[in-house]
Amino acid sequence: MTKPLEVKQEVPVVTRTTSNSYSLKESATVKWSLITISFLYISLFLILPLISIFVTAFEKGWETYVASIVHPDALAAIKLTITVALIVVPLNAIFGIVAAWLITKFSFKGKNLLITLIDLPFAVSPVIAGLIFILLFGAQGLFGEWLFEHDIKIVFALPGIILATLFVTFPFIARELIPLMQTQGVTEEEASISLGASGLKTFLYVTLPNIKWGLLYGLILCNARAIGEFGAVSVVSGHIRGLTNTMPLHIEILYNEYQFTAAFAVASIMSVLAIITIIIKNIVSWKAKDV
Amino acid sequence: MSIQVKNVSKSFGSFQALKDISVDIESGELIALLGPSGSGKTTLLRILAGLEGLDEGAIYFDGENITNVSPKERKVGFVFQHYALFRHMTVFENVAYGLKVRPRKTRPSKQEIAKKVNELLELVKLQNFQDRYPSQLSGGQRQRVALARALAVEPKVLLLDEPFGALDAKVRKELRRWLRQLHNEFHVTSIFVTHDQEEALDVADRIIVMNNGKIEQIGTPDEVYENPKSPFVYDFLGNVNIFRGRLQNGKLRQGQFEISAPNYLDSHDEAVGYVRPHDIQIEKEKVDNETVAAKITFIHIVGPTVQIELKREDNGEFLEAELTKEHYKNLEIQKGDIVYVRPKQLKVFIPEDFSI
Repeated sequence: MTKPLEVKQEVPVVTRTTSNSYSLKESATVKWSLITISFLYISLFLILPLISIFVTAFEKGWETYVASIVHPDALAAIKLTITVALIVVPLNAIFGIVAAWLITKFSFKGKNLLITLIDLPFAVSPVIAGLIFILLFGAQGLFGEWLFEHDIKIVFALPGIILATLFVTFPFIARELIPLMQTQGVTEEEASISLGASGLKTFLYVTLPNIKWGLLYGLILCNARAIGEFGAVSVVSGHIRGLTNTMPLHIEILYNEYQFTAAFAVASIMSVLAIITIIIKNIVSWKAKDV
Repeated sequence: MSIQVKNVSKSFGSFQALKDISVDIESGELIALLGPSGSGKTTLLRILAGLEGLDEGAIYFDGENITNVSPKERKVGFVFQHYALFRHMTVFENVAYGLKVRPRKTRPSKQEIAKKVNELLELVKLQNFQDRYPSQLSGGQRQRVALARALAVEPKVLLLDEPFGALDAKVRKELRRWLRQLHNEFHVTSIFVTHDQEEALDVADRIIVMNNGKIEQIGTPDEVYENPKSPFVYDFLGNVNIFRGRLQNGKLRQGQFEISAPNYLDSHDEAVGYVRPHDIQIEKEKVDNETVAAKITFIHIVGPTVQIELKREDNGEFLEAELTKEHYKNLEIQKGDIVYVRPKQLKVFIPEDFSI
């Protein structure tokens, strides 16, 4: 055997991450006035409205609140919203991983075009996104006649809502993964391959664990947007009660019919979902920092 | 395993990284690929590992053409420049990885894997660190994990990309001695990339000097150092003093000053003479025309050696000489003195298609 190497204890490499720089320390007055302003601002524009949602929701008592939620139309809206999210989020997760993998691990022609296209839904107004699907699949649309002949319903039905939501939410996961995978580079994958691992094993054992927190973060954002999307879905849904109304659409209808309590009751459920999302998101980003 | 590289070329866009490279490497050799950055040495290493494709040519392992064999099948251990350890795995898991991912048929049992990993961790003196993550290790420790991980799969070829590049001088020296020892023990054909000529001279059996995507010279450290085939190799392997002049009757002449070049009796060309700093002799009196007057501009005492910077009195060019401390003391020279410089061991290159 080769004589084991004589090694002195070496100090692990420490990287400075928090900005505890002495030179950046402000005076106490500046610090506290900034904190006060921030909190006042947040209270006025975020916390106050949030409280008012719950106050209005419970204005006419617990029974009315429950009745508004268990109303068949409300339940149908909740069910539809969850269905859409359950279909859209996994699809976008697959697309996001594939796109991020393609963009960061390979070089090919048209890569920049693909990156730009991924950002497109951020740039296009959701209403226009909805209109695109009407123009394609609506009765007067490009494929309208063919779809009618084959008795396939896309617009004013679940497929249309899913398509519109997919379109609006597809950048979230890819956008979260691309910068992460770019900084991580390809050397760990190369190491894995040179050690004899197959592509699939490399993905499962090396790539996926490295991106899991970023992926989860993207899933949460994507999910939040899928549940809350209004504009695009509003155009393609057709507002059929109990059939094609998602939660945000249902809230709007109730509000337009002056059923404030019912509207705010459903809104309170969405708010609770949003708060839970934020909490999970924070746990995830806090966990991700540890790794 | 022996390696043959036959007429390999590789371009990245308009940049030609390798130009018609051919090398034969014998089984069990420890080879240094030496060259400045951009010379193509890392590209060649990555092509051998299969991490990079080639445009033209072929690679043979033990006489078998493996040009189109995937990196996964090549049985090559690759140690990356920045280690590329799996950051979410412990040291133990990192080393075990290559065995763990084998197809079920050839995969050793859990106990066998653990035994093998423990052996390797002992070899790299990291048995107490097996539960740590790469981020909790120092640079030298990470490098050793990377080496253990590559050795775990019992590679037929070990390829190391700038293995000691990111380490501090002391750790670096220890590790390269240890690599040499390890190689003497295992005799696995090994190729490492470096831009540090000292590292190459110290460790390798043979050195391949590369420049601009071409091989400048292949030889043992001694051959390459003593008989560089080109000005580039001479320059790259150490500090150098340059004397320009014209060859005449076996002497390189420059005005009054002449240096004997007995191998060039018949030449009458413009030529450039190269002399290493330790082949420069300093004299206090002018004895003959084989010396040139120079003024001492700087004296550095670096441990046991003394480096002296001089400025030639005739043309203002700078020279560098290296003396032992003892010799320096006997000479009794100091900054500002005019002395006479005598180049011994002149290496003459006649410029044809190269420029300096």
